[in-house]
Amino acid sequence: MPDPVLKVEELSCGFNTEDGYIRVVERLSFDIDAGKTLGLVGESGCGKTVTALAIMGLLPRPSGHIEGGTVFFRGNDLSNTSTPSLKEVRGKSISMIFQEPMTALNPVHSIGKQLVEAIHLYEPEIHRTDQRTRALELLTKVGIPEPAQRLKEYPHQLSGGMRQRVLISIAIAGNPDLLVADEPTTALDVTVQAQILELLRNLQTNHGMAMMLITHDLGVVAEICDEVLVMYAGRTAERANVTQLFEIPRHPYSQGLMASIPKLSAPCKVPLPVIDGIVPALDNLPSGCPFSNRCRYSDNKCEKENPPLMDAEPGHQVACHHWQSLGK
Amino acid sequence: MKIPILETRELRRYFPVRTGIFLRKSGDVRAVDGVSLKVHRGETVGLVGESGCGKSTVGKTILNLLKPTSGQVIFEGKDLSTIGRAQWRLLRRKMQIIFQDPMESLNSRHTVGEILEEPFIIHKLGSSTQRRAWVQELLKKVGLTASSIGRFPHEFSGGQRQRIGIARAIALKPKLIVCDEAVSALDVSVQAQIINLLLELQRKMELSLLFIAHDLSVVRHLSDRVAVMYLGQIVEEASSDEIYQNPTHPYTRALISAIPVPSPKNIRDRVILEGDVPSPINPPSGCRFHTRCAYSKPDCQRKIPKMEEVKSSHYVSCLRWRELPASMIQIP
Repeated sequence: MPDPVLKVEELSCGFNTEDGYIRVVERLSFDIDAGKTLGLVGESGCGKTVTALAIMGLLPRPSGHIEGGTVFFRGNDLSNTSTPSLKEVRGKSISMIFQEPMTALNPVHSIGKQLVEAIHLYEPEIHRTDQRTRALELLTKVGIPEPAQRLKEYPHQLSGGMRQRVLISIAIAGNPDLLVADEPTTALDVTVQAQILELLRNLQTNHGMAMMLITHDLGVVAEICDEVLVMYAGRTAERANVTQLFEIPRHPYSQGLMASIPKLSAPCKVPLPVIDGIVPALDNLPSGCPFSNRCRYSDNKCEKENPPLMDAEPGHQVACHHWQSLGK
Repeated sequence: MKIPILETRELRRYFPVRTGIFLRKSGDVRAVDGVSLKVHRGETVGLVGESGCGKSTVGKTILNLLKPTSGQVIFEGKDLSTIGRAQWRLLRRKMQIIFQDPMESLNSRHTVGEILEEPFIIHKLGSSTQRRAWVQELLKKVGLTASSIGRFPHEFSGGQRQRIGIARAIALKPKLIVCDEAVSALDVSVQAQIINLLLELQRKMELSLLFIAHDLSVVRHLSDRVAVMYLGQIVEEASSDEIYQNPTHPYTRALISAIPVPSPKNIRDRVILEGDVPSPINPPSGCRFHTRCAYSKPDCQRKIPKMEEVKSSHYVSCLRWRELPASMIQIP
């Protein structure tokens, strides 16, 4: 077995706020193999994006910091690395794309300038005259029509889908081993979303890069991910490969999430099964299992003890005291 | 034949494009370009399409928040372009709207109590004690606690804020509510709660809904009939089961096949549309979809398709719908 590209162990991080320290991610562990996609799923505020930022060493300072745990990228411990050497890795070997391509691109520079900047950063040995050729090559790779024309244009002249393609082309400029995609298609229409997912899939097969996809859309997860980690209130609720998870979701939260999506095959205009209540505030989590106050199966034990991650079957872990009696 | 509660006839809304230092009008954004729709009593009509197709403009034009450029909106048999201000005031009670982002549509300096009391004050209804009681009743109806009355919108979560928006919309017991992306900004578990609330209110109050959204699964779940919009025009309309099982227009097919299905074993062959939506300032000639359509023939560039009946109450606007291969979409 080759080593995984990314190995995260017991990662905890949080923020100092006026009301004291708030832990946002607690003891998260996962790894991603080359050519595979891990989906990080959960609702707003569950710590998906913070996990990604922590891995990249991008937590806002001074308030945010990594409290414990390790992040191994190709065997090197990133959480201990000083910032200059992190710079070597970040962008070139691990790159990131964001939800809103308009805010991620610089509005006052042309697409060409922004692409060349990335190319120069990752491959300083490329001669200036060849940078443009390389930029054209990248735009063609992500399926942008008339790339030569686009190089001269500015972000506001492109549609949302095109901007996201430009962002992807910048992200893959350094031939990264790992691509972190934070809600890459959330702001896009379904038809454009399908185009972008297709593009990501093709890039992955051609380059063998690993991908960490952050999303709240279980449909997107089913389409593109190999492994899934369901997060709730900063903790792992369930971890499984994608078929296992969708066939037999074990955690009551995953079950509830899946049941509450309107399905094309279900009868219309009938009430959907719902998870009652709302996601608790991170500084006011219920004691014991963080899901206990919304869970149908919750009992005394759940209110007192936080369940550890248990093996339900090989490669399928769940953090619930009652998983054995559920999901059958 | 039932009389629809709302009908639009060839509704058009153009926005002028002005250029140069004299802001001379150089063209029009044809946001809505000839939309005819009917909504019956107690029925939900879903309006779907990609961003920029004009679906929100349809909603706003129906409520006269935007004046129509041409065409008619007929509500309860009255042509809204002919009525005066006094009558409008009465009508406003019967037509309401819920927006996507409740944080922007609720006044952040007013308490929930003040926000919900305002419709009654505007329409001069009830005494102040009576209004208080009505507000309490509204809060209960949408599933909020009575203690919410003195709190401000920022103290609530997104889902609860949307409940406040819904409470305000149903305050005057309307007949029709336009829901403009009302659940799009919410998380999955909260979205399901709000969908259920809308279904329950609709049943109890005999509401008609025009549900505007880009999420096709949500639209199908809530709607009796669905209309698909492309570049300011309706391209297909049918009952929601029919349109998802037997989509006829190539655009509808592409839209439906693009929905990511939460089931990894059922990854389907998909129709992936090339390119982006063309500009509504200068829409393509003939069939507006021909630039992205896989079945386009030279004829499609010249002739403008008319709405044709595929089968009873299933309409499509495509020149070649008879020749298209049977739909390959399987619903898992």
